[in-house]
Amino acid sequence: MRDRDAHLSDKELVLAADGQLSEARQQHLAGCFACRARRRELENAAGGFARMYRETQAAPLPPPEPARARLRARLAEIASQPAARHFWLPPWHAATVGAVTLMCALGILSLYQWRWSHTNRAFDVPSPRLTPGAARIVDRQELCSSALPKNQVVPADLRRRVFQAYGIANADPRAYEVDYLITPALGGADDIRNLWPQPYVSTVWNARVKDELEDRLRDLVCGGHIDLAEAQRDISTDWIAAYKKYFGTDQPVR
Amino acid sequence: MAAMPVVKIEPRGSALEEEVVSLFDSLREPLLRYLGSLGLPVADGEEIVQEVFLSLFQHLRRGGGQANLRGWVFRVAHNLGLKQRTRKPCAASVSWEWVSDPAPGPEEQFFQGETERRVQAVLRALPEQDRRCLMLRAEGLRYREIAGTLAMSLGAVSVSLAKSLARIARAAER
Repeated sequence: MRDRDAHLSDKELVLAADGQLSEARQQHLAGCFACRARRRELENAAGGFARMYRETQAAPLPPPEPARARLRARLAEIASQPAARHFWLPPWHAATVGAVTLMCALGILSLYQWRWSHTNRAFDVPSPRLTPGAARIVDRQELCSSALPKNQVVPADLRRRVFQAYGIANADPRAYEVDYLITPALGGADDIRNLWPQPYVSTVWNARVKDELEDRLRDLVCGGHIDLAEAQRDISTDWIAAYKKYFGTDQPVR
Repeated sequence: MAAMPVVKIEPRGSALEEEVVSLFDSLREPLLRYLGSLGLPVADGEEIVQEVFLSLFQHLRRGGGQANLRGWVFRVAHNLGLKQRTRKPCAASVSWEWVSDPAPGPEEQFFQGETERRVQAVLRALPEQDRRCLMLRAEGLRYREIAGTLAMSLGAVSVSLAKSLARIARAAER
């Protein structure tokens, strides 16, 4: 009785807009002038907000055609690669296949763990052969006066090529930052020779630590304390050594 | 309230590509608007939108669930957007110029009525998560989709929206 007679709360009125109200409460709403008036107030508020939001976020967007064409091309590229297929097996075959699959999985897991333990450390610093570093021709004044983004998004196909070069199959994007060895904020070039997959959290010397070094070096360069060329050389030669040098510590400060 | 795009996707070949492109066409603009409101420049937003639809294609190609694809798309975009914003914190203030600019220009002052200024003051005072709920609702998402996008419970979304809308309504009435 109480449920049917009590006025609807704002929460219920909001849920009513999505049809998430019980039958009894819908009946109350249909017969209650006060509840319907309150619902109109909330709907007006929602409509007013939506209008303001759209008006104020109505910055002109680039035309969709280039982005659509790019998406189509990338989808076609992915579609040309073989996809995992599902097929049916009779139960007796399925049991055999299951056992073999389990053994293979255990073998692959062992191999993966072995590979990880032997190769992960190598990604703390990039391979000098694959990622020697590459920089644009830019002077300090130009660099420091420009509002260059600190972290540029690396295009997906370039990221894929980097993972491929480093022999990482099916890379988890949450585990790595495909990072610029010389950050664009220090004149680093958008070039595969300046990119490598850096683990986010699996090591002490991870991507976030390097970001701190990049900020420090840019401050030092733009403050006139060190040359741009020196900063580029230090970070591309051995960024961990550079971190220790510029932060005066053997471990990351955070 | 915008109509929810109806998508029926068969997980094979070019038909799947066409369906993903069709969904891209209908959601690119709201996604860019939402990512912009998170403080991301359009160029970054475009990259994220590309990533979202490539992920969607892979998801569907693997036979992933097709229920509530709009919610799926917004959730992935939201997560990628926040990750990108963490990497570029300096951009975070951009999106909120529209609610945080304390001194609009003369032209804006002329067109911006007293009511709108009061509403903007309310919006400025809202916690960011509440503003996100409002923005996603303004983009036409249903409560379940908002809950999925922001990793909140359905109850929390409805409470947040009810609270925010009640404040906006009060500000508009005064």
